[in-house]
Amino acid sequence: MKLKRLAISEEGFVFDPETGNSYTVNETGLLILKKLREGLSLEEIAEIMNEEYGISREEALRDIQDFLEAMARFGLWEEKYG
Amino acid sequence: MKRPYQKPTILKLQVGFLREKKSSLSRMVRQEIDGVPVAELAEKFGSPLFVFSEKRLREQFRYLKRLFEGHYPRVEFSWSYKTNYLDAICRIFHQEGATAEVVSNFEYEKARRLGVPGDQIVFNGPYKPKEILRQAVLEGARINVDSLDEILDLEEIARETGEKLRIGLRVNMDTGIYPRWDRFGFNLESGEVLNVARRIAAGGRLEVVGLHCHQGTFILEPEAYGRAAEKLVDLSQKLENDFGWTIEYLDLGGGFPSRNRLKGLYLPPEVAVPPLSEYAEKIARALLTRLPAGDYPLLILETGRALVDEAGFLITTVRALKRLPDGRRAYILDAGVNLLFTAFWYHFRVEVEREIPGPPEPCVLYGPLCMNIDVVEESALLPPLARGTRLVLSPVGAYNVTQWMQFITYRPRVVLVTENGNAEVIREAETLEDIVRREKIPEHLK
Amino acid sequence: MVKVAVSGINAVDNPGPGLGIIKGLREGETPVSVVGLAYDAMEPGIYLTDLIERAYLLPYPSEGEAPFLNRLLYIKEKEGLEVIIPALDAELPLFIDLEARLSSYGLKTFLPTQKQFKLRAKDHLPEVAEAIGIKTPHTLVLASYEEFMKALSRLKFPIMVKGLFYKAFRAYTQAEAQQYFHAIVAEWGYPVIVQEVVKGEEMNVVGVGDGEGGHFGLVAIKKLWITSLGKIWTGVTVTHSGLLTAAESFVKHFRWRGAFELETIVSGDDIYLIEINPRFPAWIYFAVGVGINLPARLLKAALGGEPERAWDYPAGKLYIRFTDDLVTDLEVFQRMVTRGER
Repeated sequence: MKLKRLAISEEGFVFDPETGNSYTVNETGLLILKKLREGLSLEEIAEIMNEEYGISREEALRDIQDFLEAMARFGLWEEKYG
Repeated sequence: MKRPYQKPTILKLQVGFLREKKSSLSRMVRQEIDGVPVAELAEKFGSPLFVFSEKRLREQFRYLKRLFEGHYPRVEFSWSYKTNYLDAICRIFHQEGATAEVVSNFEYEKARRLGVPGDQIVFNGPYKPKEILRQAVLEGARINVDSLDEILDLEEIARETGEKLRIGLRVNMDTGIYPRWDRFGFNLESGEVLNVARRIAAGGRLEVVGLHCHQGTFILEPEAYGRAAEKLVDLSQKLENDFGWTIEYLDLGGGFPSRNRLKGLYLPPEVAVPPLSEYAEKIARALLTRLPAGDYPLLILETGRALVDEAGFLITTVRALKRLPDGRRAYILDAGVNLLFTAFWYHFRVEVEREIPGPPEPCVLYGPLCMNIDVVEESALLPPLARGTRLVLSPVGAYNVTQWMQFITYRPRVVLVTENGNAEVIREAETLEDIVRREKIPEHLK
Repeated sequence: MVKVAVSGINAVDNPGPGLGIIKGLREGETPVSVVGLAYDAMEPGIYLTDLIERAYLLPYPSEGEAPFLNRLLYIKEKEGLEVIIPALDAELPLFIDLEARLSSYGLKTFLPTQKQFKLRAKDHLPEVAEAIGIKTPHTLVLASYEEFMKALSRLKFPIMVKGLFYKAFRAYTQAEAQQYFHAIVAEWGYPVIVQEVVKGEEMNVVGVGDGEGGHFGLVAIKKLWITSLGKIWTGVTVTHSGLLTAAESFVKHFRWRGAFELETIVSGDDIYLIEINPRFPAWIYFAVGVGINLPARLLKAALGGEPERAWDYPAGKLYIRFTDDLVTDLEVFQRMVTRGER
């Protein structure tokens, strides 16, 4: 899994040792990355976002999908959800 | 208390794009226009919505008037109709004492309909249909002639009326700016103006009483106006000496900039656009040093953009979110270049109706048209926006509500926030009926 | 210890003057602590911690005055900043416009006026040259393609094709000239300046005007070797009296305030003015190295002191620019992109 190789700092700095590319993620992006690495499903992450921020599960899921879409464009995510 | 939510973002770091991002956040929020909340305006009148501020219109007019009158004794502001000819907007400027500057039959008729007397109208433009020209002559409008053919038309009208007609000449010249607008009026440096003057004098039916020069648009060089004023004074003295005419007015046209961000200009408008006081100083200095004391012709200014642009806002709503192949976000707005003709030349200020948490990231703002050119802003820097977020674009007061087009959808309402803080509709949204009313179906297609 | 911020720390193949200025400041008599101002987290100066104690990213000048001012005030608050020495063309108009406001917050600068700054537009060069008794190459300011084509038939090749502020190309043929003309129009618009190429020695003068007609020193150099981007790689000091007199006239006539560089071509007794830069050039350390520490003198003037005015420097000193390498961790980079400062 591509996420495993990433070096992720608490400040949201992400380094990919394989490609040499760097990225920044914001607080929510960081949360999603961490939970994905822990192996949580998108629904479970949406649930956490709902608890943490009080947004609806639907909005959370829509935003996670959009985030993963961006990750996929950068080659950091493959379209195998769940 | 839950923590404020930011949409998740990931940005790839690329050399050349590793810029500072925090300082620009605070300026991107606009919650109200002259005290009326943006949300209230949009909910009551719909989105998209043009909003004009009466307070700003009047204040800017009074500011400019004071400014120029402080430098030169005789100044007339002639409201440039083409910039924004909504009745309510024109009324405000006429109330403040502006005459009307029109460039077509439609604009002439609109000014007359608003109750502006003919002698309070400056009539410019390269094509003045004969009928309207005749009416303007009879009603005593100031007519600035653009071509020799127009002189022929006026001589013919003069024959009909049996009176000598008083006209102005439109002159184009080198004032050191680019591009040079040399297709309007008669060229100074080539001697064309003097040839035309001789022709007019020989005809005996016309008399030149004014000179007009409109150098261009969004002119960022105050000195150019100084040079134009100098050249017009020199020309007027030559015409007075050679032909015995009395030049009663010098019209320096418009072209004064607003604090809008012209595309291709790197510096922000606060720095790139000189203060209007510099224009007033240059013009007045050129006039006062060349004119004999006490003999001051009327100075006419046709300021449009500088008066109205910054009083106009457009409220628009994010209707859809997209992710482009290069990873950038894109937003589909309910207003595009159909309403914002000036988006082709200017980068508007983009403000969000409320503080949105999250890092600003490069994004594209698209309009609702099914055309590739419908781009409101090709590179905005905005925090991630949710569907339904309202944006406020400004300044959009100049040229948009005259050059907007009715293409695939209706044109929205225009409201005026009055000086008392009420929002009043000054143009209703179009309906299907408005658009089809003038259509006819031939019998065989019914 | 004076806290000074310096911009232009982009020491790349087209280097900014920042590092040269900083080296000068560090060799001056006033002890300084340097804050580097950068526009991109990859500007090399950010990583040179021996020269630059602290580094901050600034918003682009194009984003507007308010964010720019806010950022500078934030840095002042955090660092106790006293003086700013801006060094880049694109930011100077903003600093000049903000000068009074910065000063009201206790941030000192020593800059040309807006009117002086405008002299750098290439269509002003003939007027400046005439005022200080030197020449300009035969120059045409063109506002259309037709004018350009007409001009081409009257000029001898090679010619220089230039934008009003940026870009300059040397064209040997009509086809080349047309290509450059279109490139400049596409990027910078009209007017386009076309200039005859004058043969001679490429000589430049750097100085700091006191704003009252005098100056805090001048240094003239000749470029011996330039890179493909036209940047000096080696040079030698000269004491060309005509050139130095012209520079003194320039300072006197325009009452120049702050740093400047005049680029000229010297051909026998004739001096041709090619460009005016309203700031220090990237080779400013050359002046420091021959004993005329213009950055330190400018700092003193900004602080309200009376800097030294002696400027007796030897001719024949050599300037060698060279490249260097640095290996470091991603840490500073990470801090710059997440916090915008280090």
